[in-house]
Amino acid sequence: MGSDGDANRRSRWRGLTGLSLVRVWNRATRTGPRRTVATVGAVALTIALLVIVTGVALALAGGVTSDTDADVRIAPEESSTLASIDGVEEPRFGDSSHRAAEIRSQEGVEHASPVLVELGRLETADGSDQHSVLLVGVVPDDERRTVAGLPTDGLEPGDPHYANGSYDGPPTGDIVLSSAAARQLEANEGDELEVPAAHLEGGSPHLSRTVTAVDDGPDSSVPIALVHLSELQTFTGSGDGELADEILVWGEEEAAHSAATDAYPHGSVDSAGGDDPSAVFDDGLAFATGLLALIVGVTICASFVATTAGMTVNEDRRTLAILESVGVPTRGRLAIVAVSTLATTVCGALIGAALGLVGIRLVNAVSGAAVAVDGVAASHPLLVPYAVAVALVAALIAVPYPLAVAARTSALEEVGQ
Amino acid sequence: MARPLEVSTGSKLEMIQRVLRRSPTTDSDTGTESDSAVAVRLEGVTHSYGSAGGQLRTDRDRTVTALRDVTLECQAGDIVGLKGPSGSGKSTILHAIAGLLVPADGTVELLGTDLTSVTDRDRTRLRRRHVGIVFQRFHLLSSLSARANVALPLVQAGVPRSTRRDRAETLLEEVGLEDRTDHLPGELSGGECQRVAIARALATDPDVVVADEPTGELDTATGSDVLELLTDVGRERAVVLASHDDDTLAVADRVITLRDGAVISDGV
Repeated sequence: MGSDGDANRRSRWRGLTGLSLVRVWNRATRTGPRRTVATVGAVALTIALLVIVTGVALALAGGVTSDTDADVRIAPEESSTLASIDGVEEPRFGDSSHRAAEIRSQEGVEHASPVLVELGRLETADGSDQHSVLLVGVVPDDERRTVAGLPTDGLEPGDPHYANGSYDGPPTGDIVLSSAAARQLEANEGDELEVPAAHLEGGSPHLSRTVTAVDDGPDSSVPIALVHLSELQTFTGSGDGELADEILVWGEEEAAHSAATDAYPHGSVDSAGGDDPSAVFDDGLAFATGLLALIVGVTICASFVATTAGMTVNEDRRTLAILESVGVPTRGRLAIVAVSTLATTVCGALIGAALGLVGIRLVNAVSGAAVAVDGVAASHPLLVPYAVAVALVAALIAVPYPLAVAARTSALEEVGQ
Repeated sequence: MARPLEVSTGSKLEMIQRVLRRSPTTDSDTGTESDSAVAVRLEGVTHSYGSAGGQLRTDRDRTVTALRDVTLECQAGDIVGLKGPSGSGKSTILHAIAGLLVPADGTVELLGTDLTSVTDRDRTRLRRRHVGIVFQRFHLLSSLSARANVALPLVQAGVPRSTRRDRAETLLEEVGLEDRTDHLPGELSGGECQRVAIARALATDPDVVVADEPTGELDTATGSDVLELLTDVGRERAVVLASHDDDTLAVADRVITLRDGAVISDGV
């Protein structure tokens, strides 16, 4: 008896849901495409805007130095990212070379390198021009690896200048430039660049660099240069504490994780592959941008959904009256309205997410062409479920209005005419 | 252009009667066997429109009395016609029988259950199980196919999808629309729409069918076909038919005449 009742109930709700979806589909394709297009379009545009702005937030949070093929990233607690726009000095690791060597010695770990990021200046060999460059210090090995979007194999393997912490080994003078840096400095492979004497710490000698490689690098217009860690530490004065912003580890992810956690039990150990959307939470501006986009998106989307769904229900009063006349109770009728509203919203959200991803590419293309700044917005697969979830929340906020309109409908007034 | 109706042959009629055969008049909602073949009984029913929310004198002034002390009954197998000019109360009686309206005074019994004393939810359930409604303007859902429209009452009844489809297709076949199952109402003629509406009204095999001006939107020939269909399917159930058209009411076994909400002739 009970199971019969349950089967009956399941069949009823499946039927009502199917009925709602068929109505939405037929209306969109056959009986009322304009009305459906208006609702879906309004939601899609709102969601597309949300995706684009969230993409901008992601790009802000990701920074240009986070583009790496390392498996694990170790960062000081409360500082898991390195945003190029961040003007605040963040905590750094000390004794980084020694710790990285310890990690490298662990089984399953292929390589580990401290990474130091400093904003510095480089000038052309003839001293005619100077430009600011984001200098990234690494310890390369003999494999081609990517740090800050640039290949490390342009640098001589190892870090000879480090010399077991004495910093008196021969500097290689190697430097790998991103195409943006090369463009600004008008430098090509084999050219000489200088680190301005005035820029050097403690009266260090004037350092000459040789461009060993120019790479397209990260999808950004930020000029970046890759150098050996100890050499960067020397001319920025970070060598005394062997400072580094983070340590990147390559190898089997589990072993790399374990080695990283052993070496830095209080550090933040994360998988480094790809853009990490959670980085948005660690960057103030990115978080504010993303949050603002979320609030505006939910508000506008909910307003659109409430208005268009309310209008639709108002025009559908006769349908609701017919349903009542054939014995569909209030709960069933409201379920049909709710499912129709949610289905329309989800369709709008999916289209909006697709439009948003296209929009991100457009924004990057336009910004790259217009002001020579690309990589303004970043895309991520998680943006699609995020967009759908936001639209669903907006629909849930909005749905009481069409439900109230539906509940007020009198069958007698409509079918009695 | 309406297609000719092909349901009046002997074999078709037998099929209709087999498909639409009713179970004994057991009221499954109350669990009691109906004591007689009386399907519908209205007793002392009075109803006014515009009297519900009015607090001011002007509201009372606008009150329209739709029914005045109406008493009538309809037995299973009867086709009862309601005759009268517009505003005479025909539709209000049909709405009361269908439980869409609760009169201000009097009782409306459907298979022995007083609809005025049950909850809205129970009235809806009783309507779903025991009453089929045919409207003048068909009132089909424009975004559902003919088959889905016919199956509509079965959705809430919890009938599985395949059974709903079979039932709807059988009914559409019986009303001569087997080749229109996937058509939307907008793709059907008026006569075809009304036949879909009749099939929908019969989907739950109701004990009572109420039809409000079922031929009002149809030309004479199509209207005649629809009436023939209603007559055929109503052999074993109570049919209450409202119309101001004498030709339509000619199919009724008994015609009750109304004027200004009161019964002036019960046709007995």
